[in-house]
Amino acid sequence: METTDKMRVDVERSIQQSVEDISETIRALLAERGIFALNLISSPGSGKTTLIEALLSRYEGKGTVAVIEGDLETEIDADRIRKHGVNVLQINTRSGCHIQPIQLLNALRRMDLSDTRLLIVENVGNLVCPAEVPLGEDKRIVLLSVTEGDEKPLKYPLIFQTSDVLIITKTDLLPYVKFDMDRVRRAARIANPRIEIFELSAVTGEGVPAFLDRIESFGDAKRPRP
Amino acid sequence: MHELGIAEEILGIVLAEAERNQAKKVSAIRLRVGVVRAIEPEQLSFIFDHIARKTLAEGAALEIEEVPVRVVCAACGEMESRSFAWECPKCKGYEISVQGGDALEIVSVDIEV
Repeated sequence: METTDKMRVDVERSIQQSVEDISETIRALLAERGIFALNLISSPGSGKTTLIEALLSRYEGKGTVAVIEGDLETEIDADRIRKHGVNVLQINTRSGCHIQPIQLLNALRRMDLSDTRLLIVENVGNLVCPAEVPLGEDKRIVLLSVTEGDEKPLKYPLIFQTSDVLIITKTDLLPYVKFDMDRVRRAARIANPRIEIFELSAVTGEGVPAFLDRIESFGDAKRPRP
Repeated sequence: MHELGIAEEILGIVLAEAERNQAKKVSAIRLRVGVVRAIEPEQLSFIFDHIARKTLAEGAALEIEEVPVRVVCAACGEMESRSFAWECPKCKGYEISVQGGDALEIVSVDIEV
């Protein structure tokens, strides 16, 4: 007669192991080519695409920047970026609320990256899921616009814990909204004592040069290709 | 609805373990989930039940151990909290750091062989 035994199998592994493995493959691919990669994450409408355009104005004509745009649908953002004459590819995630590492890896394999030194990935507008998913980036950047309110670090702690840089955007609107800058800075530092914080307005240009200088110094710090 | 992607990852790992151990059935799955992961246990169980239908893990119970964050206050010392904090829950001071609470792990799988 067939018997049934019960047993407990110890697994003790990250639920995201497969995601982390692909992220490591991306990291290796970028390291081999000496490409510095940014992963931009924020709510919809915080100014990711506008900030990328500001970044490109400094790099224009250099041909060394590649941009990957993540959106549920449309090529609208990619078309905006393409006008700046850089290598751009749009990933449409359809129902997916973030870029999956496998989607990024496949995109990178389709692109000509021979001259690329800086890769900018604009993730899908969302503060929850992109925070959970590493994309092999060198720096993770979270944007928070002053119109979103100052409680975001408390409501979405993971993205602030895991980001290297916080950019507070749309600071030209500060006179019109309730936004306690000190409170946000304090909460972000509690989540991550090492986070670097920038305040800027892409409309007036205030604060933008300091941020762009920092991005350039990040890129320079990455080991040049052999 | 980020629970769907997580449920799919869990099912993949559990079915691989079940197959490796030649299980007839998976009866329970123990998870460790940090509170900053923003995962709703009921939602995760609901979705998992759905996607596990007609697999060895059909009907398996998800046992979710929630992992709190550690709040370290300069004045009050260390304490646990069920949510992220930007002031000390005790003295309301700002000299704190908040650590951990980001676990997302499968601890063990109970199977019938």
